[in-house]
Amino acid sequence: MSLLKVQGLTKTFGAIRAVDSVSFEVKPGEIYGLLGPNGAGKTTTIAMISGLLRPDGGEVFVAGASFWADPQKAKRIMGVVPQELAIYEELSGRENLEFWGRMAGLAARDAKTRAAELLEALVLTERAQDAVKTYSGGMKRRVNLGCALLHKPKLLLLDEPTVGIDPQARLNILEFIRQLRASGTAVLYTTHYLEEAETLCQRIGIIDHGRLLAEGTLGELQERLGGDRLFVIEADFKNVSPDAWAGFRERFRVIQKTDQHLAVAAIGARDPSECLKELLGLPVRVENVTLKRPSLNDVFLQLTGRKLRE
Amino acid sequence: MLRVLLAKDLRRAWRNPLPWLINLLVPLAMTALLGLVFGGKSGGDSLGRIRFAVVDEDQSVLSDLLRGAAGHGEGGRHLEPVFMEREAAGREIDGNRISAVLIIPTNFIRNYLTAREPVSLELIKNPAESIHPAVLEELLGAVVTAMNAVGRNFNSELPEWRTAFEGKVDYRRIAALIERSGDKLKVVQKFVDSPLVVYEIEPPVKEINSGHASETDSKRGSGGNIFAYLLIGLSGMFLLFLGQNAMNDLHHEWRGRTFERYQTLHVSALPFIAGKVVFAVAMLLICATVMLGAGGLVFRIHWREPLASVTLVFSYAGFTAAFFAALVALAPDERRAAVLNNLAGMALGLVGGCAFPPEQLPAFLRAHVTPLMPSYWFADTLRNLQSVGAGIAWGWVAVKLVVLSLVLVALAAMLFRRRFHAGGRA
Repeated sequence: MSLLKVQGLTKTFGAIRAVDSVSFEVKPGEIYGLLGPNGAGKTTTIAMISGLLRPDGGEVFVAGASFWADPQKAKRIMGVVPQELAIYEELSGRENLEFWGRMAGLAARDAKTRAAELLEALVLTERAQDAVKTYSGGMKRRVNLGCALLHKPKLLLLDEPTVGIDPQARLNILEFIRQLRASGTAVLYTTHYLEEAETLCQRIGIIDHGRLLAEGTLGELQERLGGDRLFVIEADFKNVSPDAWAGFRERFRVIQKTDQHLAVAAIGARDPSECLKELLGLPVRVENVTLKRPSLNDVFLQLTGRKLRE
Repeated sequence: MLRVLLAKDLRRAWRNPLPWLINLLVPLAMTALLGLVFGGKSGGDSLGRIRFAVVDEDQSVLSDLLRGAAGHGEGGRHLEPVFMEREAAGREIDGNRISAVLIIPTNFIRNYLTAREPVSLELIKNPAESIHPAVLEELLGAVVTAMNAVGRNFNSELPEWRTAFEGKVDYRRIAALIERSGDKLKVVQKFVDSPLVVYEIEPPVKEINSGHASETDSKRGSGGNIFAYLLIGLSGMFLLFLGQNAMNDLHHEWRGRTFERYQTLHVSALPFIAGKVVFAVAMLLICATVMLGAGGLVFRIHWREPLASVTLVFSYAGFTAAFFAALVALAPDERRAAVLNNLAGMALGLVGGCAFPPEQLPAFLRAHVTPLMPSYWFADTLRNLQSVGAGIAWGWVAVKLVVLSLVLVALAAMLFRRRFHAGGRA
């Protein structure tokens, strides 16, 4: 059974439809990545799932029950890590963890014990007594993450938890999230970093302009491009249209075309060398051909017509 | 949960005490400033003796009498007239050594008694002072009113008075005139006396029996002290500003997303707001204690009905914090809220009669708006408690303030919830 089920979630702000009929599920022990550029509707989706925001349409089910039937019960199952730091800078890391533990309903002693465990797990024990304002960005992020874990939530909502920190700190946080997943926690992870989604998430939903364009495992998403190979041809494509090449559209799916590049995926299970031969035989002066494994960016490119980082 | 929220805010205040220290220092500084300006060390009514110059250019017998009487008796406790020439008086006022100069012009008494032409006294106030010159002006106004009354009611007697004072003074004749005027006054007393509303502070029983106040009693100070009146108004005003400052923390919680994090754990925002209000009330009570307690010591105010006073301060502090919590909920953005909060605080303080007596407000405000102001409920009731003592319905006022506070806290919580649900933070 899914721990989180989102069905046709919709939210409109004035004339802007921030989230448009988004549906997905997250199972226990799974990290579901919601990948999309800034302003795609990721934060709004998380806000609706956590009950901060009332959806205009759709339903959220947590552990099989409708969220709005008993919001307090649903909130007890969840831990939410907001994108921005939501901690008290004047308090120490330990005090922050203990306070949020108490807010989550733990007794004083349990909050203390759990805070010590988390400080250890997040490698913060040495600086536990120092005020958070003296911490580095990565340490603050780890405290921000820890504050949502005091009550051992079965479902963790992470809204871009690694924004603005150095690569090493990011790796530490990702490793910690993997450990959470291993312990059976269901994680909804929003990000605009492709690598994070590729390396961390079991399933990925690609969201843009409030709509979930595609979802699946990395392999399933790559399959949408026609397997695990992508050909990038460098040539002068300024006044050329692939539609003019007889039978080309039946054999290749065009992922992207610019004046200098043409990225295509072969349709059907075909031998790469054959594909290569066909591409070299195109009526253009080919300068270079690269064969690569399709990335999430290529999937995003194919779905939206632009790169994720644009 | 409330205890945990309060402990968190206390820790935060302890780690970053500057804003709260400033909040505590402001009333302390205000009290000290008032004490320095108005002479808190002087005894009795704490106003100190008002030193002023009298320039007697008339040099008549009557002005001599006035000269002799001014610094003696009851007047001598409060007034310290110094007689000098006009130039010397000018120098004294320039040197800020006197509060005002009273000039009795040449032929003042003669013209007054003959009613030949309008007469006038001249009062030059020291612009560097505010209260003492104002008190002198009021006193002079009373003297002028009395002289006008005498002029109108004893018109027929005045030429005889003039004759008695001219040339060699005939004291026998003056005595006879006084006696005759006295008899006349007795007959017409009830017609010439306007029905003045007066109040008097009952002396302690001991004083009535012994005929004079003991030293302890005189040191105890007066409940009807003018500074008690001023201090209560100032406290009403300052508690509003301090309440506003205290509730700025709610802005910080909103901006810092900690309030949002709380909302991801709980459905109701009420405990969070209530925690903030309770913490603010505690801090406001400390500030009020500093202001009213230290002010009371400086001005030797004997606070009457302490239980009632403390209850009123407590309930007013609750209202102040809850009121600004509701304003934060209306405009959580600090920049937008700053203008709204300042205006609301000022309006409440001014219209509520905290900054100056409500009697001075325009008639419409006084009749229809001021009585609705919680700041007025607080200041007026506390002032009445001070001047009248027991018998004032302070309990009802405290209940009204507490109920209003609870309503405002609930309103703030509801507004915040609506704001979250509408996507104020998404």
